Amino acid sequence: MSEKTLHLRLGIFTCLVALFLIFYAIPSFVFSPSNVGNIILSPLFWPYVLAGLTVIVGLGLLANALTSAKDTPFEDDETVHPEGSAPWMRLGALAVIMVLVMVGLPTLGMVWTAMLAFAACAFLFRTRHPVAAVVCAVIVPLLLYAFFAHVAGVAIPQGNFVRLP
Amino acid sequence: MSLMDSLAAGFSLVGNFEAFFMLFVGLVVGVVAGAIPGLSATMAVALTLPFTFAMTPINAILLLLGVYKGGIFGGSIPAILIKTPGTPASSATILDGHPMAERGEAGRALGMALYASCTADAVSNLALILFAGWLASFALNFGPPEFFALILFSLTIIAGVSGESLLRGALSALAGLLLATIGLDLVYGTNRFTFGNPNMMGGLNFIAVLIGLFAIPEIINMAWNPMAHLGRTRALGKSRCSWADYKNSFKAIIRGSMIGVFLGSIPGIGAAPSAFLSYSEARRTSKNKENFGKGEIEGVAASEAGNNGVAGATLIPLLALGVPGDVITAIIIGAFMVHGLQPGPMMFVLNVDIIYGLFIGLIVSSVFLLIVGSVAIRGFRFVADVPKRILMPGVLILCIYGVFAVNNNIFDVGVMFVMGWVGYIMMRNRIPAAPFLIAFILGPLLEDNFRQAMLMSGSDPSILFRGPITWFFWFLTFVTVFAITRSTLRKKVPLS
Repeated sequence: MSEKTLHLRLGIFTCLVALFLIFYAIPSFVFSPSNVGNIILSPLFWPYVLAGLTVIVGLGLLANALTSAKDTPFEDDETVHPEGSAPWMRLGALAVIMVLVMVGLPTLGMVWTAMLAFAACAFLFRTRHPVAAVVCAVIVPLLLYAFFAHVAGVAIPQGNFVRLP
Repeated sequence: MSLMDSLAAGFSLVGNFEAFFMLFVGLVVGVVAGAIPGLSATMAVALTLPFTFAMTPINAILLLLGVYKGGIFGGSIPAILIKTPGTPASSATILDGHPMAERGEAGRALGMALYASCTADAVSNLALILFAGWLASFALNFGPPEFFALILFSLTIIAGVSGESLLRGALSALAGLLLATIGLDLVYGTNRFTFGNPNMMGGLNFIAVLIGLFAIPEIINMAWNPMAHLGRTRALGKSRCSWADYKNSFKAIIRGSMIGVFLGSIPGIGAAPSAFLSYSEARRTSKNKENFGKGEIEGVAASEAGNNGVAGATLIPLLALGVPGDVITAIIIGAFMVHGLQPGPMMFVLNVDIIYGLFIGLIVSSVFLLIVGSVAIRGFRFVADVPKRILMPGVLILCIYGVFAVNNNIFDVGVMFVMGWVGYIMMRNRIPAAPFLIAFILGPLLEDNFRQAMLMSGSDPSILFRGPITWFFWFLTFVTVFAITRSTLRKKVPLS
């Protein structure tokens, strides 16, 4: 991707977000008492100022894209972004792991969820040390539990099944 | 309180094994994290923060400062040995450090990097001690209009951390400012973007946003390309940095330290530009200028002095004005707040023992860095061998525990994951994360001081220009904006 294309996309996206904020999000989700006489002191003032600045930056990005003569791709594009569908599959899998972590934390407890998440991630990243990964998946969450629960006094979620001392 | 009383109060806080131990541990963690490419000093400070919750404020801040200073030096190790800077600040070190490693002088280059770093660190700490108190006493006269003008000026930091595009940096900062509006309104207590969720009434948790932006994108990036980190490590070689090498480079080290102190004390410039400026000054004035870029030890000394000279100086605006000097000090501001401290001029009145405790700790940190650095240079091979595909899942688990521990709230873990994906999308679209974080921290302060000023004046905006202090900061803001605009236009239209 070139800078011109990137700025064009970002400019359009930024302007759309700013318009969404001005015409829908701020009126709907920012509440102001009815007795505020001066707009400068209203809770609505600051979000509107920021949304206005967002429009300006969005227009700046568009102007930059439209006036830029160069359309050369970024130098590191090929090395940073491998081709094929496998990277997208791994990203999807990582997103699923994160969702499962959110579900697992209150039900399974933090330690067991962390163990499963560790092992899943290590295999997702195609580790060349599977045994070490499994050992670390068990030890790291237990050590962190020991520190946070017994040293820092944090109430680590224990879940509904196996409770740790 | 006299200077001696303040010093005694500081000693009473840090004059124990635990405080120095924490500083030492921080340096070890920082050097190791800085030495692992992909685990930057910023990420190391962010990940260490949750471990400080159970500590006393002074121990916590010393630990984090240790990580910060260690991380900046640690970044030079992979820069020299595998041509991959551990931190952006070490990029200039590659120019001469790696050619030295290629001809079998890695040990000499690393030795010089360490000695230059320690010298610059000591100079920088001295500058902090000399100037922070003076600046704070001046800032005691500030009211909301002055703070508004100061914070507005500090937002020009964003130009310094925007990287390759100012517009993308500004976009990132605006996203941070908008995200900071979530929660209850500061004056009227009404809901802003809370969507009826009580977890969002206090705003988004700073640490969840911070770790989400700086640590999680690296993990997601690992899923995208698990092979990206593989590189070739050079051996240390037999040659070592000698006293003659140090003596010959001493001028470059001192000049680099001064450049680091000057640029570090200006919010937003950071270590990387300082390292490059120091390097180019050393090359301009050196007798061996034709050797620069081919493995000149003076080049390594200058760039390392430049980036380490920043470390103490960035704490000058942090401690004296409550304004972050760079992204790491922005995280450290968060740490102060977590421990119930508000950095700024009042801290020199209310918590003078902590201030002097930090000064003492910082002086000792330069000596500790020398010890830790010497061992780290020899032990780098072990650090480089840590499999990143096991390390990154470990970082993920650490993030989950750390973010949960802030408020004992699973919602914060969700915020961290969401911010992680936001950070990753930003990374893919070359939008820098640092302006987002700085704006997220400064946003509420800016709004709060603006509205307080308006309340004071009955909504008369002329209060924002009420005296010489505000004029000074407005002047600086306009000069900075003018300079940024001019340099952006020059870049866009080459003069050739």
